[in-house]
Amino acid sequence: MKVLIDLLRYNREFLLGTILISIILALVAASFFAPYDELATYVVIPDMPPSAEYWLGTTSRGQEVFWQLAAAMRNTLLFGVVVALVSRVIAIAVGLVSGYLGGRVDQVIMAINDTLNALPNIPILLLLVFVLRDQMSWPILAVTAALLGWQHDSRLIRSVALSLRNREFTRHAVFSGMRTGQILWREHLPYVMPIVFYTTMNNLIWAIGLEVTLSILGFSDINRPTIGGMIYWANAHSAMVAGIWWWIVVPMAFVVILFLGLFMLAMSVNEYIDPRSRLARMGA
Amino acid sequence: MHEVLSKAKKTAVTPKNVLTVEGLKAYYINEHFGVRREVRAVDDISLTVQRNEVYGIAGESSSGKSSLIKTLAGAIRPPMRVVDGSVKFDFGGQSIDVYGAPEQLKPARWRHLSYIMQGSMNVLNPVRRVKHSFHDFAYRHMGLSGAAFWSKVRQHLERLGLDPDVLEAFPHQLSGGMRQRITIALATVCEPEFIIADEPTTALDVLVQQDVLGLIKDVQARMQASIIFVTHDMSVHAAITDRLAIMYAGRLAEEGATQALFDNPQHPYTAHLIGSLPRIGDVRVRKSLPGKPPALSDPPSGCRFHPRCPLAIERCSREVPLMQPSATGGRVACFRAGEVVAA
Repeated sequence: MKVLIDLLRYNREFLLGTILISIILALVAASFFAPYDELATYVVIPDMPPSAEYWLGTTSRGQEVFWQLAAAMRNTLLFGVVVALVSRVIAIAVGLVSGYLGGRVDQVIMAINDTLNALPNIPILLLLVFVLRDQMSWPILAVTAALLGWQHDSRLIRSVALSLRNREFTRHAVFSGMRTGQILWREHLPYVMPIVFYTTMNNLIWAIGLEVTLSILGFSDINRPTIGGMIYWANAHSAMVAGIWWWIVVPMAFVVILFLGLFMLAMSVNEYIDPRSRLARMGA
Repeated sequence: MHEVLSKAKKTAVTPKNVLTVEGLKAYYINEHFGVRREVRAVDDISLTVQRNEVYGIAGESSSGKSSLIKTLAGAIRPPMRVVDGSVKFDFGGQSIDVYGAPEQLKPARWRHLSYIMQGSMNVLNPVRRVKHSFHDFAYRHMGLSGAAFWSKVRQHLERLGLDPDVLEAFPHQLSGGMRQRITIALATVCEPEFIIADEPTTALDVLVQQDVLGLIKDVQARMQASIIFVTHDMSVHAAITDRLAIMYAGRLAEEGATQALFDNPQHPYTAHLIGSLPRIGDVRVRKSLPGKPPALSDPPSGCRFHPRCPLAIERCSREVPLMQPSATGGRVACFRAGEVVAA
């Protein structure tokens, strides 16, 4: 708690990141109090510019941009969090096991790891969308994205686990008869946690970017509001040409706010974890 | 002299050996591109350690001390391999053959046999509180329920002169000496019969060192445990060990009661080692031995010490001297053992 207050006071990136993410979270919270069903169309007058009645205007589909944005933000963030969590579990498990066991096991796991890493993400996801067509739902997309998004971080974790393997406390733990699983879970996991925090933020940004990309192209459940989905519909109704600029600018602006917020947090968390950059701040 | 002999006699008649090592050979075996290299770090070593005894192992760096005790603890990993010989523990009737039946050793570790490792200040996980280390290492072996376990741990820490509140601390919040004492507490909390200590005091300054040595001695005396104590520091050996073995290039050179060894070394290497120790008031320049310890991958033939030995004769380069009973009640591996004069 004290750490948090200190970070807010002395670290401008952390302060800015916190403010930006608070805006996003407030929006997500607001989505639960929406007056309209988020899937319903033509509930308000279409194509109204931002005003006191419609804060961010309305769309050509007769939806309020503000409430659409709130629901979209919630869904997009949920997607990102699911991807980040699932891929973290895989990255930690693979990284720790591979680094600790070493030798032949390590070689095999890392060969698989690097092969997966070399696969291009977007074409695979497009292929999946074409194969599944109507059965495509966001949880399937999230799990697929998670399966494509852990390789880099597992390598990072493995590199730390490799050095932990020969540390005195590991040798001691082995000697005292702790099982491999216990050693990984109790001794090594706390050690790599800072890296996990940091990479989670980056992974979240990557996953949201992926979701936006696919949705803009229409490769997801297009009726479910997401940031990319909003832009997809705006494009489908030629919003820019028709002069309905608020329909396309608002989701763009908010996804930028989200990215900036996450990036600032990731940066300041990194600074908190890495004493060297903290020293640099102090002028040492 | 008389006391030494009586002690030696006791060694001969008491069969209560906690540790018996016979003809142990453990080599580091590397094979690169079909070329096989053997590093004979532990070469044909036999020794016994009795109950309630502190057994010292001395020798210069890379003489195989750490390799030997790792082998004794069954804590070796490839490329090191046991080529020949046996290591047997006897914990109150329960005998364990470390390399004959390795599965017996696992449950005995920490409970009966604990290990204070080299650089042991770092055995505490830097990102976890001390209490977690106690829980991880000792809880399983004690067979006590939560509250009873913690009161035992606290009691034990108090007995070692530590504030039980250190359990809540992270290792980086403690001084080197405190961490060292915690490590010793950790290794002794299960009251093991046998403790292997690998240079537990090397990284400490002399005052803390004295403190820690006293602590180890105390714990040992209370638990009637046996300790194998490894260090290159002869003054530490003089302070703490009952019997002392001198290692040179992977072999034992001499073994005997510590006092007798210091007073009357039988092996020329021991004589020089002891002769090199500074004494207060003595201003003579210490003689150093020319040469350096041999590479264990390509040791000299015969006695491994002969290229540096001032007493070497032709036979020394041909034959390996075996450990023979010495005049002072110990054992020595030298053809000219009787002719050695302390330098």
